[in-house]
Amino acid sequence: MNTTNQLLSRISDDKRPQKGKLTQAKKTIATGLSEAEAIERAKGGDAAAFEGLYGLHKRRVYSLCLRMTGNTAEAEDLTQEAFLQLYRKISTFRGESAFSTWLHRLSVNVVLMHLRKKGLPEVSLDEALEPQHEDGPKKDIGARDNVLAGSIDRVNLERSIESLPPGYRIIFVLHDIEGYEHNEIAEMMGCSIGNSKSQLHKARMKLRDLLKLSRAEKASRR
Amino acid sequence: MNCQQFQEVLPHIIETGGSADEEAHLQSCTACSDLVRDLKYIAEQAKLLLPMRDPGPRVWTNIEQSLQREGLIREGRMSRQGHTLTITQTQKKSWTPLGSVLAALAVITLAVVVINYHPRAIVTAHNSPATSSITADDQTLISQISQQQPEVRQAYEDGLKEANAYISDAQKAVDNDPNDDAARQHLQAAYHQKAMLYDMATSRSLP
Amino acid sequence: MLRKLPSSVILSATLMLGAAHLCAQSTKQGKFNIARGGILNVFDNAGSITVHAATGQQLIVSSTPHSPKVEVDSSSTPDGRRVEIRAHALPQQKPNNDEAKVDIDIGLPPGVAVTINAATAPITVENVSGDLTLSSDTGQVTLRNVTNSHVLVKGIAAPISLTNMTGGFVDITSNSGAVQLANVSGNKVSVNTASGNISFQGDCSGGGNYVMITHNGAIDVFLPQTASVDLTARSITGSVENDFPLQAKTHTSFVPDAGRSFAGTSNSGSSSVELQSFSGRIRVKKQ
Repeated sequence: MNTTNQLLSRISDDKRPQKGKLTQAKKTIATGLSEAEAIERAKGGDAAAFEGLYGLHKRRVYSLCLRMTGNTAEAEDLTQEAFLQLYRKISTFRGESAFSTWLHRLSVNVVLMHLRKKGLPEVSLDEALEPQHEDGPKKDIGARDNVLAGSIDRVNLERSIESLPPGYRIIFVLHDIEGYEHNEIAEMMGCSIGNSKSQLHKARMKLRDLLKLSRAEKASRR
Repeated sequence: MNCQQFQEVLPHIIETGGSADEEAHLQSCTACSDLVRDLKYIAEQAKLLLPMRDPGPRVWTNIEQSLQREGLIREGRMSRQGHTLTITQTQKKSWTPLGSVLAALAVITLAVVVINYHPRAIVTAHNSPATSSITADDQTLISQISQQQPEVRQAYEDGLKEANAYISDAQKAVDNDPNDDAARQHLQAAYHQKAMLYDMATSRSLP
Repeated sequence: MLRKLPSSVILSATLMLGAAHLCAQSTKQGKFNIARGGILNVFDNAGSITVHAATGQQLIVSSTPHSPKVEVDSSSTPDGRRVEIRAHALPQQKPNNDEAKVDIDIGLPPGVAVTINAATAPITVENVSGDLTLSSDTGQVTLRNVTNSHVLVKGIAAPISLTNMTGGFVDITSNSGAVQLANVSGNKVSVNTASGNISFQGDCSGGGNYVMITHNGAIDVFLPQTASVDLTARSITGSVENDFPLQAKTHTSFVPDAGRSFAGTSNSGSSSVELQSFSGRIRVKKQ
């Protein structure tokens, strides 16, 4: 396991999928001026408050958009749109839910709306997977001596996620990276819970293939 | 139960566990147990991915321009409240070094904003350095850089000292005259310096 | 029912185009199709990174690793919106500082944005027009002949030099590295250093907003007689000197303090120039 993974492993308890997995930033600002106070300032039209909230959340919103779309230009446009929607609606924020969760959900909706407009299927129902039979020839990339455990690095995983078909990628990002439950994904995407589970499974299977392929390609070059 | 039957139900049982039959197949079948192990491993690794990319600089410019056009922000409308504000951090003890550093980055980022809101306020950020010394969060950051890129460790340590000295000087000037706009701008610039150091270090920490 | 994805979309997006897996001490070249408005991400800690305008529409990347302990991975999305070039050490290898170096030379088609992350590698960018986001710990950052870009540069101890830039936005944050701007103009030009010296030479044309602020670095501004500026300079504890002909302003937001601050305009005062230091010296001179 490389340094990165070791580092990440150490923080794994903190990074279990929370809804929207926003880091501890908001929760840690306790007394005096809080993020909530910054939000109040933004409601009053304070330019610096808007910029500060943007600075605090831009990386996370952009990363979400990028992972869901796989396209930097689209991700920047959607980040812009998400923050604009946020700022237009900020006067309605009452603090019932965490600001970060609210922003996160809003950003997901912005991306999903965009994808719907583009006409891309968010969930594909008709792509079958081949079960891995115990009898018969195994695919090279699924060979017994080639299990993935311990071999994934972040860069390869990010690249492989980008390579997923959009329908798979979105559900994988929402569930496995962002920590949404299947019932929430089903609601957001307008599909059944079973469909969400099925798509997630296919996404992980596809990722497994991609990761093994990538590893094999790399090994063959050495 | 054969592999095909097991893999048909796998999407629905991988997180919750299956029936006795399904578990028995899993125990006895190498191909299926390898598959399940890989899929769980992928899911575990995905949970560890952090948001590490920033949007390009044009994005904020566009947002700012749109907000101005729509009249959502008012230029120069800064608060002039004279009360004392404190930003503190209720840090969870279980936090790991990177968690702590990320949290410190968030607090520093917000501190930059706070100073702009409250020109008269006495702003004390978490771990605000009273001198140009290195704080506990700074030390954690330096340790991580030492592990990952020792050749730039000194630059970061010197940079943190510079930023802390700047914060300290600017803070004194604000304390001395809370109405001094220039002092307030320096305090904001000083926190911006520190935020940059944390931002660059944390961006770099996951190669 | 949702329709099936076109196969082109389903196809894996990560392409090892050009297969830029490179052997030590030899230069390999990869060519990539990259869309106008696409982005190039480069990660190279040590060695050097050079970006210049390409002659054609393809992105051309040449890489030279200094040892067999490092390699360069490249990937791109099938729509050509993003290309990533990443130099890294091979598993189980521990290259020393020299062995870890990879020199990367990039020919950039027009309209492509670039993000570069470096530690000690010097970065040179010239004759481009896309947005630039550059980050360097200690390596020199040099930009020349850049037009209508949003330029964001962050450096720890990296000297930063910008020459001949017009239009767009410039935002530089440097801790201890010196920042030199020559013939740089834009809608907004902002420089913030802790101890790094700031030098600006140019006419501040375009009616932009120029802000330079430092803790204890020196700020030197050289303006031609034709400069049309509304200029303020303030230092909390440092000195302020001016030998540029300015018409003193009668109204300022602060009380002028000889030797510590001044404010004035020249010509029509179309661009705003704000110089601030905490303890560093500020000097404005006629070019």
